Amino acid sequence: MHGRVKVKTTAQQEEEKRKEREKKLKIYVAARDACFSKRTDGVLDEEALQLTQQLLSSNPDFATLWNYRREILMHQETIKDEDEVQNIYEAELLFLESCLKVNPKSYGSWHHRSWVSARLPRPDWSRELSLCDRCLSLDDRNFHCWDYRRMVVRMSGVPVDKELEFTDRLIGSNFSNYSSWHYRSTLLPLLHPESPEPPSPCRQPQSSPPPSPQTQSHRVCEEQLLKEYELVQNAFFTDPNDQSAWFYYRWLLGRAEREEMISCVYVSREEERVAVAFSRPVNAQSVGLFLVLDGQPQRVEWRSVHPRFKQSPVWICDLPPGTINDISNEHNLTVHWTEKHTHRDCALYTGRTESWCRDTATDQELFRSELSVEKTSVLQSELQSVNQLQELEPLNKWCLLTIILLMRALDPLGYEKETLAHFQTLKEVDSMRSAYYNDLCSKFMIENTILKMEYAEVRVFSISDRNLTTLCHLDQLLLVTHINLSSNQLQRLPPQFAMLQCLEVLEADNNCIENLEGVYHLLRLEEVSLRNNKISTPADLKPLASCRKLKRLDLRGNPVTQSPDVESELSELLPSVTDLLL
Amino acid sequence: MGTQIKDVIIKPDAPSSLLLDKHADYIAAYGSKKDDYEYTLSEYLRMSGIYWGLTVMDLMDQLHRMNRQEIVDFIKSCQHECGGISASIGHDPHLLYTLSAVQILCLYGSVDEIDVDKVVEYVKGLQQEDGSFAGDKWGEIDTRFSFCAVATLSLLGKMDAINVDKAIEFVLSCMNFDGGFGCRPGSESHAGQIYCCTGFLSLTGQLHQLNADLLGWWLCERQLPSGGLNGRPEKLPDVCYSWWVLASLKIIGRIHWIDKAKLRGFILACQDEETGGFADRPGDMVDPFHTLFGVAGLSLLGDDQIKAVNPVLCMPEDVLQRIGLQPDLLS
Repeated sequence: MHGRVKVKTTAQQEEEKRKEREKKLKIYVAARDACFSKRTDGVLDEEALQLTQQLLSSNPDFATLWNYRREILMHQETIKDEDEVQNIYEAELLFLESCLKVNPKSYGSWHHRSWVSARLPRPDWSRELSLCDRCLSLDDRNFHCWDYRRMVVRMSGVPVDKELEFTDRLIGSNFSNYSSWHYRSTLLPLLHPESPEPPSPCRQPQSSPPPSPQTQSHRVCEEQLLKEYELVQNAFFTDPNDQSAWFYYRWLLGRAEREEMISCVYVSREEERVAVAFSRPVNAQSVGLFLVLDGQPQRVEWRSVHPRFKQSPVWICDLPPGTINDISNEHNLTVHWTEKHTHRDCALYTGRTESWCRDTATDQELFRSELSVEKTSVLQSELQSVNQLQELEPLNKWCLLTIILLMRALDPLGYEKETLAHFQTLKEVDSMRSAYYNDLCSKFMIENTILKMEYAEVRVFSISDRNLTTLCHLDQLLLVTHINLSSNQLQRLPPQFAMLQCLEVLEADNNCIENLEGVYHLLRLEEVSLRNNKISTPADLKPLASCRKLKRLDLRGNPVTQSPDVESELSELLPSVTDLLL
Repeated sequence: MGTQIKDVIIKPDAPSSLLLDKHADYIAAYGSKKDDYEYTLSEYLRMSGIYWGLTVMDLMDQLHRMNRQEIVDFIKSCQHECGGISASIGHDPHLLYTLSAVQILCLYGSVDEIDVDKVVEYVKGLQQEDGSFAGDKWGEIDTRFSFCAVATLSLLGKMDAINVDKAIEFVLSCMNFDGGFGCRPGSESHAGQIYCCTGFLSLTGQLHQLNADLLGWWLCERQLPSGGLNGRPEKLPDVCYSWWVLASLKIIGRIHWIDKAKLRGFILACQDEETGGFADRPGDMVDPFHTLFGVAGLSLLGDDQIKAVNPVLCMPEDVLQRIGLQPDLLS
């Protein structure tokens, strides 16, 4: 029951209503029972069409009655000639039109219309298209009608550019039309593909689903993209508070996908362990991952860094004992990802305890999945326009967020200060979503810190006093030996933290950490400092027991230090720790 | 010129505390009005209606007030030769009501009362070549039905009966520019479908395929100044979306991106102090559908007067623990 306002009534009105409903109930039940008994008797006549029509006019969601009608219509097909069948179905379409007028959002009516249209001996698709036009002119967000339209377009081969013009018209009359913007996002890549494959001017009826704008790499040629930017700018300059255009704009700006590849192979002599990082989460047990050591295929068991992950960007395996532990030997390793026909080599030289091979990461490669880098000049002029709008509308949240995204695409480090200032304003003007902005800001700050670390060519990741509320991109930190997360707002070190396979020192003082799930099987971890957090029981420290080399643990300023017998409990739980600070 | 935000205003005298006893009385009494006109008109969805009522009663720890035997007998009489289950006697079987029936039987721990193998056959038979599912033999395709299929099979422990890879491929082909999902490939994103598709990806272990940050942004933008959530941009808030949106956010590990206190205020304002039950918006007529999703939403928000609800299956967590089903959630 949606949108039915409750009205106060007197006792007398109530009684009258009750009587009226009783009468209606009798009529309804009689018609329903008549339908059901006819159907049970296998009657497929015109009277049954009449009876179901009577009921469906007021209750189009009564799906079983549509089914009964279909049975009757299919029976009529077998006993009548084509013209008569055409007439019967035409009448059905008229009836459906009247149903849709009363209830334009009934799944049953729309599905029945699709069914009838597909069986009509001589379909009139232009009439169906104009029905959609009329229906959408009454409610341009009716998704049932949009879906029906897409079916009609597919069946009758309406060219993609005609449909794009249709959305031009709708957007022209009302910018605030999310359905039209959505439709454009599916049409544009079909009409103006960036790839050299020829565009199909007319889409034939097809059985396989079209590629999704999210899962497929959808690129639009630059000329069209510039036109599109202009259209969206018109929209948000006209009505800066309308979210539809802003959502669309964010998509336009960031469509690139990261290539699927092995981004890093790491090998450690001491642990006799190999770690492999992928550009996206995979299940290494099912994608065909093979390890070849010195020309010999190895039988190894791949596991994700934490039992919680069936899909993960980082996988590890242990080599058979004694394979690579002699420091005077050189070894050559290749990891093959057969499913993607790709591989990566890694050489472990004499005298070295570890080795890795990976792409030199730069900002463009690392984080462009968030926002593709079009020509800098284009993005620069987009930023100028949005900045102009922001001068007129200083507190417009959509504008502020878009500026942040553009700045990140252009120069994430150069704009860092301004980005942070804009985030601050965003949290003030849209406080309901401050947690979203905090997490997004954390993500950007982590990206910046990774970039700085890459430029400095060090294995130390330090990001203290940045109001971090969440951790992400931890797969990029596979090689990090020292991490400093102190003085942030972190509540947990999540399972993903176990991707820091080389970690030796962890500092995370002055946060609100209560959960250490991700400090798990970090075989090189020696020092952990967690001063002034919210660790409350010895049981919360259980994951640390899997870090065999842990020597120093600082828990000062945590509630757990107040629990009785904490010292003896911890020495039992963490026998390797020799330096426990409580 | 500017867009007026579509929203409601919550009156100062709107209910602000949870009236659990009234809601339990409302649901307990609902099934006794069997001769009511409105009740009869909704016969086509009776099985789901019973699921809504029983689930909210269980969440309020009041399941014992419902007539178990009568309900189980009713479900048995709704299973058809093909294995599918209908909304009511005389109606045709459909995936929607097959799932509702299986959910009810799980609440009661009596799945064996129906022919489980036939249910599995029925679900399996509705999968299409492209991996999608038809709702029934009449061929309507919708991602809702993909969810119904895998939810039913997960509850029965028979997921391997279908081609899961193809089913996943189809659902992913419905992913949109905003990270959300619609009914079919190319359909606009809608919070109800997003719930079905994130739930589907959870049950099939494919949540990593989502663009969770993008989708989470779209979902948290559903919250309006009143605190209520809408199902699509530029639409009015509605209590049922406090379920579809909130459960989706919970599944993708981003429930904290909305303002929980404001949403709680909106949901509570949709209660009817006289009759019990929840309406879609403050001041509207109540019904069992919105009553379940109001209470389930409050449970996700952490109300400790209500049992914990599972965001994927909208059933009490203790029931799923009994079955041994623990759908994935992103952290």
